[in-house]
Amino acid sequence: MKFKLNKTGILTFVILIAVFILTVAVPDAPSQSVDDNSAFLAVLILILAAFIIEIYRKPKETERITDIFLILSVVIFLWEVLIGKLILLDPFLFPGPARVFAVFQDDYELIINGLFSSLTFLVGGYLLALALAIPAGLYIGWRKRLFNVAYPISKAISPIPPTAYLPYSIVLLPTFSAASTFLIFIGAFWPILVGTIFGVFGIDKRLINTARTLGLSERVMMKDILLPAALPSIFSGAMIALIISFITLTVAEMIAATSGLGWYIIYNHQFANYDMVVAGIIVVGAVVMVITYFFDRIQAYCLRWQNI
Amino acid sequence: MSIVIIKDRKNYFKILNYQREVIFTTSIKLEDISMVYGVNGKSHTALSNVNLDIKNGEFISLIGPSGCGKSTIIDLISGIKVPTKGRIFIGDEPVIKPGPECGIVFQDYSLFPWMTAYENIFFAVEHANKSLSKEEVKKTAHTYLDLVGLCKFKDAYPGTLSGGMKQRVSIARMFAMHPKVFLMDEPFGALDSLNRIFMQDLLLHMWSEGESRNTVLFVTHDVDEALLLSDRIGIMSSTPGKIEEIIDIPFSRPRCRKSLSGTEDYIKLKQYLFSVLYCEMQEIIESQQAQKEAL
Repeated sequence: MKFKLNKTGILTFVILIAVFILTVAVPDAPSQSVDDNSAFLAVLILILAAFIIEIYRKPKETERITDIFLILSVVIFLWEVLIGKLILLDPFLFPGPARVFAVFQDDYELIINGLFSSLTFLVGGYLLALALAIPAGLYIGWRKRLFNVAYPISKAISPIPPTAYLPYSIVLLPTFSAASTFLIFIGAFWPILVGTIFGVFGIDKRLINTARTLGLSERVMMKDILLPAALPSIFSGAMIALIISFITLTVAEMIAATSGLGWYIIYNHQFANYDMVVAGIIVVGAVVMVITYFFDRIQAYCLRWQNI
Repeated sequence: MSIVIIKDRKNYFKILNYQREVIFTTSIKLEDISMVYGVNGKSHTALSNVNLDIKNGEFISLIGPSGCGKSTIIDLISGIKVPTKGRIFIGDEPVIKPGPECGIVFQDYSLFPWMTAYENIFFAVEHANKSLSKEEVKKTAHTYLDLVGLCKFKDAYPGTLSGGMKQRVSIARMFAMHPKVFLMDEPFGALDSLNRIFMQDLLLHMWSEGESRNTVLFVTHDVDEALLLSDRIGIMSSTPGKIEEIIDIPFSRPRCRKSLSGTEDYIKLKQYLFSVLYCEMQEIIESQQAQKEAL
């Protein structure tokens, strides 16, 4: 087993361990201190472990991995030293890392519940949008006449931010879960639809002609020719849709919900618990990262025939 | 790449002992075909009063300057485009819409990039011959992929294959579909000369193997290619596109490139074709200049 580290890698290690020692040995400033900073230490160990594992797993990409981890560790180092120890910024508004990560320890139940409730709406609304927008887009892109009608309409409606429908969806739909699922559906629907329509529209005519000479039924044409040919464009629409649905969800929760990550952030803002606000932001960021990671994996698999 | 192909070539002659199954083939008839496109309000006559009879089992090449409507004829026969005037028959059936009775190979973009080489053939055979069972379709796809020497590349996506390999898959697909007629639109136009020679030999062998031969309409701008492959060559002229002249190619089959290209007849025909095409090119250039001056 070879374990080679370049200069950046060594630097990253040194910084992470320095933060660790600082946290254990040097007491936090009184306004930033917590009774139990083991959560932050656990996070540091987690980052170190992830770093080592990544380098072992992908020895060819050492440079990329060490660069990313270097930036991450420098951010944590500056956060800990400048805000946690030296209190260069208002400690009330800008909590140190020990305080923020302690929130995860104390409040994990609420955060996990919020995460689950957010994800339920997100997955429900997003999958519904995929299920309806892709077939509709395939059909609209395929039928010239339908396209000529549907294109200006979707151009007019799609830029309306989905949260603009919030008042009506709350009034008309029985529960908040139905309302927010609907909003996410609306937010995700248009980008997927437009992506699919343009995907079909952009298919090389020669490919379509080849397909037509096989005497395919319309259903087979949609499923086996139009769908795969439009898939690259569908994926770029679906990526935009994913981001929009996340924004929509967070905003909707901030306005109308009693659970979820958006609610968690805005609720703690009202009580001036800024450590919890920062913790909430970190969770949102982490969730988006995990979801886009899986999205990218699915995309790479489905488009494996491209650019090989 | 050429080394691989030469290796394949040995393989290929071995495989050719295979006898093709029953062939369903038929004639093509174009009756007084005209094709007018509307471009930005102006109409452009792509074809005017084209008549063509292709006999059952005949190999006809169309040759002419670019823009003379060669490819339009292919699109019309396959039913992709509808003529402004005139009728087209494949056998006794008039062409109404595209269907699996025509097997087509284009210069490019014939294969579906999201299907592997094998899947491309499988998909086409499955949908062109709906009566076949899944096992038969599988067997047919394997047989034809084997026939063009691409067994090893069965799971490769077209994006990873070279231009010559892609066209071999396209040709395998065309044969595997068992269409009534073959339509080939400059199939080897994008290949380098070595690959081109190999592909011409491959096509010639696959086509002439077995008891009966498929009807082929082959569009090209390569005089040697047309002479080597065809029974008759249609020379086309442009603006408006029409078939000026059809000449018989008397060489006996099976043909061999080496012994053919030195003969007196071959040289005479080649010179004749070149002179006709050259005259046409001159006319095109002159008319273009006249148009410029008029502006």
